[in-house]
Amino acid sequence: MKEKLISALAEALEMDASQVKPDDIFRDYENYSSLTELSVLAMLDSDFGIEIEMQEFNKYKTVEDLINLVSSRQN
Amino acid sequence: MGLITFNNVGIAGMAAAVPARVINNYEYDLYFNKEDIKEVVDKIGVTERRFADENTCSSDLCHAAAEKLLTDLNINRQEIDLLIFISQTPDYRMPATSVLLQERLGLASSTITFDINLGCSAFLYGLTVAYSMITSGAVKKALVLDGETRSKVYSLKDRKTGFLFGDGGVAALVEGGEKYGRSWFSLNSDGSRADLIKIPAGGYRTMSSCETVTEKVVDEYGNIRSDEHGYMNGADVFNFVIREVPKDFNRLLEYSGVEKDAIDYFVFHQANNYINGFLAKKLKLPEEATPATIHKFGNTSSVSIPLTIISELKDKLDGRKRLLLSGFGVGLTWGTAIIDLNDCHIGDITEI
Repeated sequence: MKEKLISALAEALEMDASQVKPDDIFRDYENYSSLTELSVLAMLDSDFGIEIEMQEFNKYKTVEDLINLVSSRQN
Repeated sequence: MGLITFNNVGIAGMAAAVPARVINNYEYDLYFNKEDIKEVVDKIGVTERRFADENTCSSDLCHAAAEKLLTDLNINRQEIDLLIFISQTPDYRMPATSVLLQERLGLASSTITFDINLGCSAFLYGLTVAYSMITSGAVKKALVLDGETRSKVYSLKDRKTGFLFGDGGVAALVEGGEKYGRSWFSLNSDGSRADLIKIPAGGYRTMSSCETVTEKVVDEYGNIRSDEHGYMNGADVFNFVIREVPKDFNRLLEYSGVEKDAIDYFVFHQANNYINGFLAKKLKLPEEATPATIHKFGNTSSVSIPLTIISELKDKLDGRKRLLLSGFGVGLTWGTAIIDLNDCHIGDITEI
């Protein structure tokens, strides 16, 4: 699950998966913008079936937070 | 429930008018450099759009469209009982623009006229009202006019909205008749999300003042607008739309008993190319059945659904065709409709 999320996140942000680490604050990535944020939301919906309110999404800071989100929803 | 079925009422014809002035987005570098513009425009897919000049209102676009339609169909204007004007860019705060159009179009003083103030879902709301009044027996022929000059609403110095919107107006003639068969509508609203798309000032909650028209930098990206410009919280709207629009789509299919395969065309509000592409993919819709005008007219709010039908399906509507319409936006409000067009007249698009 961790690898799948990292790879999908990297694709959404047009980055190389090797640049994405669990401890990273994903909003600090240079490629993160209001435009690429849409790709991240679309990725969560289509790759992981996660429909999320922005209020909740905005609480997530690190890549690890997203990994935990995906893991918890899968179980 | 917000679910409605109609029988034997439908659209006899439609026509549209757009401003003659074409804005080429990639070259529209008044306030941003071309590299930044390219990033935005590639994502939203709005290559061109139309801008009305300072003397042209939504009502003028609708007037031109209605003149074309009434002439094309050779309609006796005294037979129009109802005129609905759908817009969030009216001529005045009062009186209602529909009343001005009654006079300009030479309709009888017995015509029922009123405005509907809704955004991207509004064509579905307007059709529902016209269909209902025709079904009641009180109205025989209704003119539904839907126009927007969104170019006058948003700041060109705010890249979140400055490259998205365009102007246009349409007219649709609605009447009763057995040939039209059944149609189904689902209409919804969620006022808890009113702040996601808004013009904060200029109404009566926060009246116009020097302060409300003063432009200021509003975020860390340096975007500039005043409180009388519209703003949109794109990510929240996107998230809402990709969740609720497919749900409503499936809800209406289930309610109507219509199979997805029995629908000829799926006409979505042209929000931006990214949202529209995502919805089509999520709902597994074939590309040839989802006509688009986002690339040439931009987001024209409530006008985009009928304008897309008129622009893209003109030569594809011979005989009986079943359309699913999906509108969503400011309010937030959203809706889905399944309607049959039976030899529906589609006029050429007028440029003014």
